[in-house]
Amino acid sequence: MIRGQKTMTDVELAKKNGEELLKAKVATIKNSFSYEETAYHLPISFALTGIQVHDPKAALDVFSKTGSNPIVAAECILADTTATKGREQPPYTGFISDTVIRKLGYSLVDGSILGLALIVGKPRGADAAAAICRELQEKYMLTFLAGEIVPTLTDAGVKLGLDYRLIPLGSTPQYGIHFVDIVARVAMMFGGVTPGDTSRLLAYAAERAKAIVIVFPGMSDEDIALVDGMRVLGFPILSLDGYSGGEWIHSDADDVVRVGMEKKGIRVNVVAIPIPMGCSPAFEGKSIRKEEMYVEFGGGRAPAFEILRMREPSEITDGKVTVIGPEITDMKEGSANPLGIIIEVSGKNMRKDYEPVLERRIHNFVNYGEGSWHVAQRDLIWVRISKEVVAKGIRIEHIGKLLASKFRMDFPQLLDAVSVTLITDPEKVNVARKEADKVYGERDARIKGMCDKDVSTYYSCTLCQTFAPNHVCIITPERPALCGAISWLDGKIAYEISPSGANQPIEKGPVINALTGEFEGINRFVKKASHGEIDRCSLYSVMEYPMTCCGCFEAIALMLPEVNGIMVVNREFKGITPSGMSFSTLAGTIGGGAQTPGFAGISKNYILSDRFLQGEGGIERLVWMPSQLKEELKERMVKKLAEAGKPDFFEKIADENNATTIEDLTIYLESVKHPALSMKPLM
Amino acid sequence: MGYDINFGWTGTIGNVTIGATKSEGGTRSVSYRIGGGATLPFLEKNLQANSPPLIAFELCDNPVYWSPIVRNYCGDLLDDLPEWTKTAEKTYGADIIRLYLTSTKQRNFSDLPAVGKAVETVLSSTGLPLIIEGSNEPKIDSEVFQKCGEAGQGERLLLGTAEASRYRSIAAAALAYNHSVIAQSPIDINLAKQLNILLREIGVQHDHIVIDPYTGTLGYGFEYSYSAMERIRFSALKGDADLAMPMICSAIDSLTVKEVREAEPAVQDEIAATWEFYTGIAAAVAGAEIICVRHPKTIGLLRKAFDSMKTGIAPMGGQ
Repeated sequence: MIRGQKTMTDVELAKKNGEELLKAKVATIKNSFSYEETAYHLPISFALTGIQVHDPKAALDVFSKTGSNPIVAAECILADTTATKGREQPPYTGFISDTVIRKLGYSLVDGSILGLALIVGKPRGADAAAAICRELQEKYMLTFLAGEIVPTLTDAGVKLGLDYRLIPLGSTPQYGIHFVDIVARVAMMFGGVTPGDTSRLLAYAAERAKAIVIVFPGMSDEDIALVDGMRVLGFPILSLDGYSGGEWIHSDADDVVRVGMEKKGIRVNVVAIPIPMGCSPAFEGKSIRKEEMYVEFGGGRAPAFEILRMREPSEITDGKVTVIGPEITDMKEGSANPLGIIIEVSGKNMRKDYEPVLERRIHNFVNYGEGSWHVAQRDLIWVRISKEVVAKGIRIEHIGKLLASKFRMDFPQLLDAVSVTLITDPEKVNVARKEADKVYGERDARIKGMCDKDVSTYYSCTLCQTFAPNHVCIITPERPALCGAISWLDGKIAYEISPSGANQPIEKGPVINALTGEFEGINRFVKKASHGEIDRCSLYSVMEYPMTCCGCFEAIALMLPEVNGIMVVNREFKGITPSGMSFSTLAGTIGGGAQTPGFAGISKNYILSDRFLQGEGGIERLVWMPSQLKEELKERMVKKLAEAGKPDFFEKIADENNATTIEDLTIYLESVKHPALSMKPLM
Repeated sequence: MGYDINFGWTGTIGNVTIGATKSEGGTRSVSYRIGGGATLPFLEKNLQANSPPLIAFELCDNPVYWSPIVRNYCGDLLDDLPEWTKTAEKTYGADIIRLYLTSTKQRNFSDLPAVGKAVETVLSSTGLPLIIEGSNEPKIDSEVFQKCGEAGQGERLLLGTAEASRYRSIAAAALAYNHSVIAQSPIDINLAKQLNILLREIGVQHDHIVIDPYTGTLGYGFEYSYSAMERIRFSALKGDADLAMPMICSAIDSLTVKEVREAEPAVQDEIAATWEFYTGIAAAVAGAEIICVRHPKTIGLLRKAFDSMKTGIAPMGGQ
């Protein structure tokens, strides 16, 4: 029943007819049969039902139990045929032994084989078929062949065999059933699938078995029914020409391998990053001290920022790294320099919402470098590069290469192209930073208006556990992560992208204390995620069970018992605060994953949240902030306070211009009649 | 004596089986089930009922890469793998044999059948369970571990050493031939956990993983290892299933530290064994359930110490 060149076969019709034919054939099986060299009987039937099929009765039993499945029918029929007519002559392999499957499975787990392909049918010409096989070989796929594709290839001089990763199963497409029995056995040997556990088998085949099927023309109705049956296992069926209808993916010879691998999510991975320094998570926890550093960027000593933007695929070239401005070699040893890190990405699964989440990964990736170090985020970043790796030849350009490669490696599902621009020219950094600031503002605006009480799920962030092993951030719509870089929305998206990652959903559960923001679900989660160190966490309080701090906080809120109030100091402020300590001294005291009552690491935006200081009586507890931070928040804060009926409160908050010591602060607060002075005692 | 120390732990260390006897499908004369601890090491209520840590003796298939101290002490045994193995079991009294395939260190090593043969030689020379340390070269990982796995099929080997950047081949060998895996991380609890998760995701079950927290030698960073091990054990006991595996320690640098290397020849063996012993005993206290040593004399010292910890009676010289 080989169809002519112009005739199109309707897959749906052929399949129905083929299934009937297979059904009739199963009923005619008369003999008993079994394959040697396997402990899995007829592997597909065994995996699906747990039944050991060796005779006509069992065959019919399994066939009816699996809802007249065409794959089961084909397996039984071929086993019967093999028993009666004997095995086919070489090069055909027929049924493949368990010993060989064990080795194949090894290569699949090991990654030396990326996936499996089955090619069936009769190619119109040898060239296209040979080219497809070559492409599959190059992409580390193990290819099985059944039907007239085999003589077509051998006639064209293509070498077949396990060594060539091209395995001729048999002379007709029906031998393609062995492709499925291999997957079934791999599932039982390697995937822990117990025989008879149909749902686990199907899940394994769909999620773990990286298998695709390529169909050339010339298939009989029975063959079509068999191949179409493989869709249940999640194998994409790609037809080249001659077929219409059904749920097959129609493709052409040039594209079919790429399309198939993409459909099944099989990726050829980037394995090594071509830069002259080590790059691994093992280096993430190291720091580069001042004496060890060659140059630094940002850190309050020079302007610096980082941003990740999504672009149209046409706008970027994958892997392209551009450095605008002087290279490391042109910088003075020990100097602080400006830096702009701009990552542009595209990908068909990428969404604009994902930008900030991916952007936060710059932190990890730069730290993966043996001699590169990174802290903070957005326009607060601080980057150092060590003398040691500069001597080895590391340049700014390599940091770009590292970032481009790591983004591609770690987000293969999401990103198809990544390009990196690094700006070291002071003027240009400033211009680009203004634009970045606008984007940060837009992102912050997106989450505005959402309230904690509107959602039942908050998100955790344990990204910083590499530095602060017991630290857990709890992110709510009204309380961003203390680093300011991850909002509730970002947490939600990060969880979507990587369900086993650092951001996990937490059901907040019953309320323990609405005022301080303590919830049963949160406590349970924090206890577990802090490795049992922290039992309770109140989201809206500085005084009682405050959240732990890693070291990335944008600002610190701390109590000043002398004035019955709370002050806030941001990372950029270099002076001494009325607490008698500078930001860096304070940061050293409260960081590392500890819970320190009276102190909390916070993001700047949290100051504008209605939940800020709720446990201590609200914003009126706020007595002091550096003038620069006040300036930064002024516009939004004044508006908010006016709406809350406290139009004159903003001016009552002291800064370093009117108070640098606790004594000055007391005098100032009394002079402006600051409300904190008359509030309920903090302690 | 007789303090009732209750920390309120909720977790238990998982069990891992090493070696398989005839009835378990292998040819070993003994198999071990390690793990199962529900509190800190040596604080169990019934110390007598608990097995002390196992002592593994390390040897190799190409002694060029071995310590001259061991060479001096064991002599020509090093060139006779079957005899060396037998002596380790019968004379030195090891519980486990750990074979390092040091032959794979040779430049452009390609004699892969020899790898399988070395494993078979050791298997046939002893009835003890085996730890096999595979390839030293990522390029040949795939073939080496395949050979090791195949040669030891049915024997429940413990295969080493998986790292975050290099675990697929070992995992594949463990899955294909039902062996267990040593998962090593560089003295970092989070990386240890991450690797265990990676292994789980590829299909290696938790009861097939032994954690190697990486052991620095006493005086050369052991305190970092101790602290990492302590924290791993704490986390496990607090219920973190991804860290609730038994641990293995091998302070492989013990015989190369300056104090040992430059010791007077007359006392070198004693110093070497002492150095290994104190590192080993400290690792056991931190929670290691397999202690690996290279100097034969260390085995007796450790055995005596473990016995005394079990009975609460200090050996000679103790208080």
